[in-house]
Formats: sequence, C-alpha cells, structure tokens
Amino acid sequence: MISLPLFKRNLKLAVFPFLLILAVLSMYTTVIIYMYNPELAETLNTYQQTLPEMMAAVGMTGMASNLLEWMQIYLYGFIMLLFPLIFLLMIVQKLLMGMIDKGTLANFLATPNSRGKMIRTQLFSMLLWLFLLMGMITVIGVISCEVMFPGELEIETYLALNLRTFLLQLAILAFVFLAACFCSENKYYYLIGAGVPVLCFLMQMISNMGEKLEKLRYATIYSLLDAEEVIKQGSGLGWQGILLLGMSLCMILIGVKRFQRRDFFL
Amino acid sequence: MSERTLIELQGVTKDYGKGKGVFDLSFSVEKGEVFGYLGPNGAGKTTTIRQLMGFIRPEQGKCQIAGWDCFTQAEKIQRITGYLAGELSFPEDMTGMGFLKLMAELKGIRDLKIMRELMERFELDPHGKIGRMSKGMKQKIGIVNAFMHEPKLVILDEPTSGLDPLMQNRFVELILEEKQKGTTVLMSSHMFEEVEKTCDRTAVIRQGRIAAIEDRKTLAGKRKKIYQTVLKDQEAVRRFLAEPGIEALQYHCMDGKVSPAPNQTEWTIAENRSLAEALRILAKYEPQSLETRVQSLEELFFQYYEKGGEEHDLSSTV
Repeated sequence: MISLPLFKRNLKLAVFPFLLILAVLSMYTTVIIYMYNPELAETLNTYQQTLPEMMAAVGMTGMASNLLEWMQIYLYGFIMLLFPLIFLLMIVQKLLMGMIDKGTLANFLATPNSRGKMIRTQLFSMLLWLFLLMGMITVIGVISCEVMFPGELEIETYLALNLRTFLLQLAILAFVFLAACFCSENKYYYLIGAGVPVLCFLMQMISNMGEKLEKLRYATIYSLLDAEEVIKQGSGLGWQGILLLGMSLCMILIGVKRFQRRDFFL
Repeated sequence: MSERTLIELQGVTKDYGKGKGVFDLSFSVEKGEVFGYLGPNGAGKTTTIRQLMGFIRPEQGKCQIAGWDCFTQAEKIQRITGYLAGELSFPEDMTGMGFLKLMAELKGIRDLKIMRELMERFELDPHGKIGRMSKGMKQKIGIVNAFMHEPKLVILDEPTSGLDPLMQNRFVELILEEKQKGTTVLMSSHMFEEVEKTCDRTAVIRQGRIAAIEDRKTLAGKRKKIYQTVLKDQEAVRRFLAEPGIEALQYHCMDGKVSPAPNQTEWTIAENRSLAEALRILAKYEPQSLETRVQSLEELFFQYYEKGGEEHDLSSTV
C-alpha cells in the first residue's frame, strides 16, 4: 500500500516544521487559557466596543461566558486557522512540491515503486502529521485547562470544536495537495496553494467586519468552521463537517489521479 | 517485436512547440547491446529518455521496454533498469551514504556489496552532505545508484559529464565489463569519444529526429581528420584547395570559431585519396605549419545533412 522507506524519510523531513508550529500553537493556547478571567473578559469587551471592526476582523467578537467560549473567540478566529495553514504549506512543499520543483522525484520514480504507491505514501504522511498536530494541540488544551481552571472546560464540546477545525484544515490540506499535484514549479504552487486559502482568509476577515460585506462569507471555506454554532450544537460533524469531508475527498482523489497521469519534466 | 529486442520505439512524438521535442522516433535496442544516443544539446536526447523512464507520456507512438509500456507499466520496467539522469538532483539535506541506502531500500536490495564495490572503484567518499558535493562527486553517486542493483538495462543520460579523465576511463571500463555480462546499455552523449569507445551502434539525433543509426565502424569511418595549414599567402591557399584530392572545409565557422587568417586553411582528404598523396601535394606549397584535429559533432552533422540533401535550416544548428 505505502512505501515504508519513503515514509520513514517523510517523518524526518516534516519533524522540524511540526515542532515549530506545535510550539507556536501550544504557546498561544496556554497563554490564552492562562489569560482567562472574567475581569479581563470585561476589559476585552471594552476593546470590542471601542474598536469593533478591528476585533471583528480577527474573529474576536461576542461575550465569553465560559472558558470554551473564551478560547473560541480568541483562538479559533485567527490563530488556529492561520498557523495550521502555514504548517500545511510547509509539509506539502517538503513532501511533494519540493521533489517536483527540484527534480529529486526522478530518483524515486526510477525505483520499482508505482506512482500510486508513492503518492499514497506522501498523502498518508501529510494526513498523519496534520492529525498529530491537531491531536497534540487538543491534548495540550485540555491539560492546560484542567491545570489552570479545573473542571471549567466542557471537554466534549472542545473536542467537537477541534474535530471541526481538523476537518477544515483537512479540506485546506486537500486543496494545497491538489495544487502541488498540478504545478511544476514552486512559484505557481505558492501562488495557488497559499494564495487561495489566504484570499479566503481575508474574505472571512472582511465579512466579519460589516453587514454589507457579510455575503462574502459564502465565498470562503473558513465559514464552514462556524465555531459558534459548533459550541451551541455541541457537534463537530454537522452538515458543514460532512461537506468539508466530501470536498477533501474529491480534491484528494483528483490530485492523486493527476499525479499518476501527468508528465514530469525531471 | 522479436525475442532479442529490449527497447522499442515506434513513431514516438512529443511536441513542445517551436520545433522542440521529438518527432516520429523509431529505433530498437537489442538485448546485450550498448547503444549510443548522440546529439547536440537540445536535440531531444533527454526527452527520449524521459519517455523511456515513464516520466512523460508520448503523444503518439509506442514506447516499450521488454514488452511493457514505458508509461503505464513503469514500475515493472524499473525493476530491471538502472537510471542516471542528465541533470542530477539529489535531496541536498541527505548524506551521500544516506541517499544511496534509501535508494537501495526503495529498490529492495539488501546486499550492499555491489554498492560498496562501485564506491571503491570510483573512489567515492559518500559521507558528507550532498548539498556540499562537487558535480563530479554527485555524478559518482549517480553512477553507483544506477548500477548497484545489477540491472539488466541501464539508461544513462550524459554519464561522464563532470568526471575527470581518469574517472571517465574507469567508467568506460565499467561499461565494457557490463557489456561482457550481457547488460544492455542506452547512453546519450554529445561527445564522440565516449560513444566511440563503448557503443555497438549509435543513433544520431538532431532537432528531435533520428538522422542516422550507424554501427561503430561506419561512424568512425565517417568521422574525418581535419588538417589546419598555414601557407605563404592567400593565393597559395586558393591554388592548394583546387588540387585534386584536397577538400576545403566549408564548415569551419559554424561552431562559432573565428575565421582563419587569409593564408590559413582547414581541409580534409577526399575519400579515395591517401594521406601520403595529400602530404606530397601539400609539400609543394611550402607549408609553414600543419596541425590536425578531429571533426566535431556539429561538423559531422553538417556532413550528414549535406549528403542527405535534406532541407534543414543549418543556421539554426549553431
């Protein structure tokens, strides 16, 4: 099914970006949890009143009535979206695009391993790394909450929120992967693979800011996170989750097919 | 396709536009043969090899190795094939040894004996990061990688580029040994010397088309010696070149060299004349100097097209 030697190499290649992004996300998560207290919540509410557009742009709106809502407002509008995107761009670059751009893929294609097997290995490694990242952040979040505010976190709902975030990042991974399967050069990969998600992200920010621009939310994949709704419903899957999963599957299948059939000028 | 045929191309076309690519290529390579693939840069050598390796798919035609389709059944072909790319690109973060071991694992070889023998033979020290290695070192790694699993077929794209003359000789020895063992070799080159020493047959490719396929003797025979002579004056040159058996070289400026001085000339001996005769004629003109050189690849191509009488735009060869 997959190539073990290639998989082992992938582990080595992705460990640095993984640790880097994990460290950043862990720091933000623990600091935000640490900062949780009702008094500060009020101060931040005054910020929201004085600078409503600014705060809204980065998704920081609403009143936090408990720890999870606090985390949702200050982590899931910006930090948990942007840093995983950077991580995904880095690992897809290292595990796939870099090999195509630099031509090192030729060495691997010249071994008796089919293209299908190779792309499955790369994809599996990417999915595993994303899963590990989200999994470890979840564990760190739960532990930090339990240490600093024992019993305050609704763990199940927190898991649901992280499941939805994982599905969103999965769809973005699928898109970045698809971009790499179609591109021959790094610059186009970054233009599309990074450009489109960042554009979506900007549209999300703009749509957060005002009623007139709110319609833009239908044009961006980040709306499907809908963190507030996840917390209200307590379910991570929902129709948005299923849609994200379906989109991911489609993009991955198209990417794999393309990789198997395309020309490589190596 | 006969039992003896290992590589077969029939009408293979890959058009990149603007005359680039390969057009209607057809040739076959027999088992145990060392086949040269000779052409100037940009002639389509690498494009052909990419199709043989299954990296790109021909637009038209059939491209097969051992009866398998080069694109759809590449995995099977790779089992019996060793490959050395023209533009080597190894993961720069790895050491030479780390890379070779990874490739051995991917090829499913457990016994690294041959790999070590090859490293010794080419005096390769594979420790140290590939990113810091010289072109020659990388070339050695590529050669070890191509041969370490004892392939039945090796496809080599400009194998000696970057190697010093000593290592080039070791490489020629290696190819001759492999030939003894019955390995089939397809090797591209833009240098005669390499092909002349090793190849049984050589395809000459130019502008994406096969110009000729020659066996070793014919190819060597076609390649003429060129004599460079300085005479007294221009008039002497004119009269000398008009002598029977002396042929003026019309191609001396084609590879960008400066035209010779008026009293200098480049000439060859006509096919039916001997060197002795030519020298006797030359002696009458009191030559001031005489040098010889062998015909360059471009000059040989000129000869092919001149004789073939085909319509080719010669100015674009330079």
